[in-house]
Amino acid sequence: MADTPLVNLTIEGRPVAVAPGTTILEAAKTAGVLIPHYCYHPGLPVAGVCRMCLVEVEKFPKLAPSCATAVAEGQVVHVHSEKAREARKGVLEMLLINHPLDCPICDQAGECELQDYTYQEGRKDSRYREPKRFNAAEDFGGDVRYVQNRCILCTRCVRFMDDVAHDTVLNVSERGDRAFIGKFEGKDLTHAWAANVVDLCPVGALVSKDFLNKARAWELDRTASVCTGCSQGCNIIVETRDNTVMRLRPRSNESVNQFFMCDHGRGDYRRLNRRDRIEVPSILGASGHVTVDWDVALEAAARVIKGKRVFVLASPNLSNEALHLLSRIARRSGGAGAFRVPLGGEAPLPGAPDLALRADRAANATGAQLLGFTRHDAPLDLMQAGDALIVADHDLTEGDAASLSKAAVTIVIGSAMPANLPKADIVLPIANVVEEEGTLTNLRGRVQRFLQAKAAPGMARPSWYVLADLLGALGEKADYFVAGDAFGALAASEAAFAGLTYDSLGLRGLPVIDAARFAEAAR
Amino acid sequence: MAINVKVVERPLEETSYVRATLTGLGKTFKHLIDPHKVTTQYPEERESISPRWRGTHRMLTTEDGKAKCVACGLCPTVCPANCIKLVPGEDEQGNRYPLVFEIDEFRCIFCGYCQEVCPEEAIHLGRHYENSEYSREGFVYDLERLMAQTHPVCEMWDPADPKGE
Repeated sequence: MADTPLVNLTIEGRPVAVAPGTTILEAAKTAGVLIPHYCYHPGLPVAGVCRMCLVEVEKFPKLAPSCATAVAEGQVVHVHSEKAREARKGVLEMLLINHPLDCPICDQAGECELQDYTYQEGRKDSRYREPKRFNAAEDFGGDVRYVQNRCILCTRCVRFMDDVAHDTVLNVSERGDRAFIGKFEGKDLTHAWAANVVDLCPVGALVSKDFLNKARAWELDRTASVCTGCSQGCNIIVETRDNTVMRLRPRSNESVNQFFMCDHGRGDYRRLNRRDRIEVPSILGASGHVTVDWDVALEAAARVIKGKRVFVLASPNLSNEALHLLSRIARRSGGAGAFRVPLGGEAPLPGAPDLALRADRAANATGAQLLGFTRHDAPLDLMQAGDALIVADHDLTEGDAASLSKAAVTIVIGSAMPANLPKADIVLPIANVVEEEGTLTNLRGRVQRFLQAKAAPGMARPSWYVLADLLGALGEKADYFVAGDAFGALAASEAAFAGLTYDSLGLRGLPVIDAARFAEAAR
Repeated sequence: MAINVKVVERPLEETSYVRATLTGLGKTFKHLIDPHKVTTQYPEERESISPRWRGTHRMLTTEDGKAKCVACGLCPTVCPANCIKLVPGEDEQGNRYPLVFEIDEFRCIFCGYCQEVCPEEAIHLGRHYENSEYSREGFVYDLERLMAQTHPVCEMWDPADPKGE
C-alpha cells in the first residue's frame, strides 16, 4: 500500500491526501470536517438512501452524495456552501414531515442525530400542516422495540442484519410515505448480536427495551473500558449515572470488535452492579468474622502465608497486573496457580473478521496463561495438602468444595464472596473491573487497557493495590502508586509482555510479543 | 500607662433626657391621631402580587386528572439548585410518566427555569408564598401534593408583553 500514490483534494479549503477509493465523507473526517449523514456507517455497506450527506463538488453538475462518491485528484469540495446547506435543509424538512417530535419521551434524545443536525442546519419550523402519520410501536423480539413514527428509513438496521449478522430478519416494507421497517414472517431479532441495531439507529426508532426510560443520554458519564463477557475483549464504553452502570455500548476498534458488541456482553452490566459485595476486610475469629483495618488484615494474611506453599485460584477475569502480582506471591513460596474458564456457546458475527462471542466466558484467560497460571477444569486438584489457598475472585463449584479441606488456610481476595466456600480465614475486598484501572489480554494476545468508571464499595481497593501491599507485607519490594507502575513491573519481568508500556497501549491496545501464535491457533 | 480621660463639662440642658423623651412621645401621639396608615394588616389584608410572582410549585393535570409530566428529565437537568428528583417509568398504556417527582421547596431558589424548560407545560411556579410545615421533610413536595395545589400559576413570560408592563 505504501507505494500507492495518495489522492490530493481540498475540502472546505483544507488540503487532504487520502488513499484512492476513499469516499469524500471519510476524507472529510481526516480533514476534521463532519459531513452530516444518516444512512452511511463505516461498518456497513454504502446505501446512499438518506441524501443527507450531499456536498457541492466543483465542476460536478449537481450535488454529490459524499458517502458514495470516491475522491479524485484535484477535487474541490464545499460542505457548508449555500447550495449544499439548502439541499440538506430540504432533506431534513422532508424527514420531519412525519416525525412525531416526541423528544421529551424519546430515549434517543440527547444522542439523536436527527436532533443534532436539525439544530445545526435545519429549518426552525415546518411548512407542513397536514396531520402526521401514526403507527403503533412494535416489539421486534430480543431487546429491541421499533417505534415506527420516529423512523427515517436509513436502513442501517436492515443492512446490519443482512450483511453483517447474515440473518435476514428486517426489510423495508411498503412504499413511499407508507414505508416502514418490517420483520419477516415468523422471524425475530433473536440473533446474538441483534442489539447492535439499537446503537446503529441514528434516531430513536429502534430502542432497547432493557434501557427504556431508565436514563437520559446527557445524564450519563462515559468511560472507556473492555468487555469481560468473553475472551474476545471487545472495546466498550461504560455509561454510568450515580455510581451505577446503566448500560454498556461498543467502542470502535478496527483490530478487535470493529463497531459492534454482542447482547451477552451488554447484559453484563447487571453483574457489575451487584449489591452483595465484600465491603470490608475481615478475619475469622472465634465467634465469626471480625471487621479489621487494612493494615491488620494484610499483616494477618502475610503471617498465615509465610512458610507455607501458596496455591492461587485466580479468576481469569482479573487484570494482568493482579495476576502478575498473584503469580509472584505464589512463586516466591514455590507454589502454583490455576484457574477454570466458564464455558458457553460460541456466537460469531459472520460479517466481521475474527469477531465472535467466544466459548471462553472470561476476559483474561490468555493473560493468566502467559503469566504462568494453569488452565484446568478442576483447578483445585493441583493444590497440595497443607497449601495456603488464595481464592482470588474465582467462583467455586460444589465439586471444588470437597478439595478445599486440603488447604491449611484459605484467604479470599475478591469483589464478592464465592459460593460453596465453607470457611474463609481472611477476606480482602477488591474492586471489580469497572472500579479500577488495569489491562486485560484477549484471546489473540492483545493487551488492552480499561479505565475506572465508578467508585468501589466500602473499603474495597483496586486488586493491584491490595496485592502489592500483600507482597510488601511478605517482605518483597512492591510499592506501586498507580496501575501503570504495576504494569511497568509486569512488562519488566514477564518476557511475553516485554516492550509494552502503559502509555503506548493507549485505548486501543497492542499485541504481546508472540501474539502471532494465538492467531495461528484459531485457524 | 494610665489613660487620660478628659471629662467635658456640659450644661444641664444638653445632658438631660427629659426633653428628648418628650419629643419622642410627642411624635408617638401625633401618629396616633394621624389618619395616614402604612401597615398592612396581614393576614386579614394582603398586598396584591405580580402575575409573574414565582412561588410554590404546582403540577398541572390533563382532563382525566393525570399529571401532564412525561418525565423527560429536562427540569432536573436545568435546575441550578438540584432540588428536583425524577424517576421515569412507563404506565400500562406504554406512556412515559414520572414514578417519582419531588421538589424540595427548601432547596429551591425559585428561579423558574423548570417552568421555562418544560415542553409539556406541566410544572409551574405559582402565585403563592405561604408555606409552613412542622418538619423539614414536609417541604419535599411529591407529585400528589404538587397536583393538589390550586393557586394561580406564574405567568412567566408573555410574548406579547415581554417586558411585563
